[in-house]
Amino acid sequence: MADTATPAKARVLVVDDSSLVRLYYRTALERAGFEVKQAINGIEAMEKVLSEPYDLVIVDVNMPRMDGFTFLRSLRSGAADVATLPALMISTESGVQDIGEARMFGANFYLVKPVAEAELVRHVCVLTGATL
Amino acid sequence: MDDSKGGSSHATHISPEQVQRFCEFVYRRTGMSFTESKRYFIDRRLEDRMAATGSSSFQEYFSLLRTDADHEIEHLINSFTVNETYFYREDHQFRCMTASLLDAIVHQKEPGGTVRIWSIPCSTGEEPYSIALWLMENWSQVDNYNIEIVGSDIDTRALNAASEGVYGDRALMRLSRDVVSRYFRPIAGGYYQIDEGLRNSIEFTRANLIDPQDMKQYRDFDLIFCRNVLIYFDDASRRLAAENLYDCLQPGGYICLGHSESMSRISPLFRVSRFPDAIVYQRPEADHG
Amino acid sequence: MTSRETSAPYRAALDSPDAESRWTAARALAGQADAVPALAAALGREPTPRVREAMMTALIRIGNAASIEVILPYLRSQDAGLRAAAIEALQALPEAIAPFMEPLLSDDDSDVRLLATELARNMEASEATRLLCELIEREHHPNVCAAAIDVLTEVGTPEALPTLEKCAVRFAATPFLPFAISVAMSRISGAES
Repeated sequence: MADTATPAKARVLVVDDSSLVRLYYRTALERAGFEVKQAINGIEAMEKVLSEPYDLVIVDVNMPRMDGFTFLRSLRSGAADVATLPALMISTESGVQDIGEARMFGANFYLVKPVAEAELVRHVCVLTGATL
Repeated sequence: MDDSKGGSSHATHISPEQVQRFCEFVYRRTGMSFTESKRYFIDRRLEDRMAATGSSSFQEYFSLLRTDADHEIEHLINSFTVNETYFYREDHQFRCMTASLLDAIVHQKEPGGTVRIWSIPCSTGEEPYSIALWLMENWSQVDNYNIEIVGSDIDTRALNAASEGVYGDRALMRLSRDVVSRYFRPIAGGYYQIDEGLRNSIEFTRANLIDPQDMKQYRDFDLIFCRNVLIYFDDASRRLAAENLYDCLQPGGYICLGHSESMSRISPLFRVSRFPDAIVYQRPEADHG
Repeated sequence: MTSRETSAPYRAALDSPDAESRWTAARALAGQADAVPALAAALGREPTPRVREAMMTALIRIGNAASIEVILPYLRSQDAGLRAAAIEALQALPEAIAPFMEPLLSDDDSDVRLLATELARNMEASEATRLLCELIEREHHPNVCAAAIDVLTEVGTPEALPTLEKCAVRFAATPFLPFAISVAMSRISGAES
């Protein structure tokens, strides 16, 4: 749990259908002072971003019912306050065309799984403007 | 937390790791999540369900749960949620209806046009009657449109009770005394019967959400309340019900689910729509590629 | 009329230029085993997501080996949405998919192996454990192992522990995997009652 005495650096939504991946990101990010919420697919992610303010969404590609690309497309075509939400896409694919595709759908940054804790935290800091 | 009961034939010590497995399964399947503070509550419910299913270990129970043997998922969810029906249950959605949804719905309609609202399952009628009452009490434009409310259920006994419109204190507990006095009359046994005009204004029908033949007869709804039923269906039935409901809605029409339900566990056919009072789902106006 | 005769107009409508007609046709063909080839062909070229969804539902309702064979190739699709739709459809058919599990888990394509691990989630615990451990023992790809470990976290029996220990050694220097294995092992070991 984040230290409740100091305010969280930023609110991050982790979207991945693997409970282990979500736990891993949450553990690393909470340790670094972020507030972390989770969703299991793009539909739940949409419900969450529409309900509460977030500073960053971390989104997987392969998820049931709504994959990461479809989620991004929905996000970017939605109301202004959510359409500009920074998005870090984390995928198993490492090809140049996959990165290009992610950018086309509106990802601000792209990482390839498996992601090291330090690398994740560094990117989240950059994308939320927080300091390490 | 050690919950072992010395001497009990159901020695139900459930470890934290088992509770984790259980919680992750429930979250994945239903979308319901539990904070640490609910841990004791979960332990008790788990023990109850293990006893009810005659499971001698958590493993045995968990296997049963994963295969949804004997509709265990339904029993489990029921043990976690308050499941009684009463007037104005989850009224934030009715508030959403009059504050947001109806404006969008009638935007496309001529004055005097028809607004079609469906309550399925309607059970013993509290929901469709609540919709009618709420509209009369809260919608300034209620007299400007022709409102059709249909209440459907698979259970004919419930439908008969709905047509009778007789309720006890508990069902009416959320209604003000003023509303009760204006729309209900007291009858024998301390019960109340809802106004005859209201009883006649709701069309009650028998329908099965996963029967395509049944569902074919329902079309052009502007708003559907389908609360606290889809969560119990298996994967294949949820898909089918969602497709059926899609066809029953007007393009742009809305659907409201129950408070513990989410389309994220049901179907990608609908758009998530956020309003001040509720999250609802919308049949898209048009297809996108 | 035979089912083949009644389904003929719907099978033809799967080619309609109008999405609504294709949707109606797909819905009408649910459970019609003779429609599998037509659905197979239509699925590959269907641009509208909800129609694809209805075609998948139709195949699920047919639920036989032929419909599984039709869905399997979409696990290899470049389209993430199609892959997701295929896996969801297969997940709804746990009994029918059983004979396909070993071939899928030893497919040459690591993406297919990865997606297939998800199908073990609906299987009986010791069978799922056996299949996933066999996969992990021969698997080089960390993300495929990670996916298998995720499923074992839910359904794994203590028989999985030795495999997981060896896996931890193999991937000691790989991000995420040591964490994942440690959680999986604690969930599995904690499952004594």
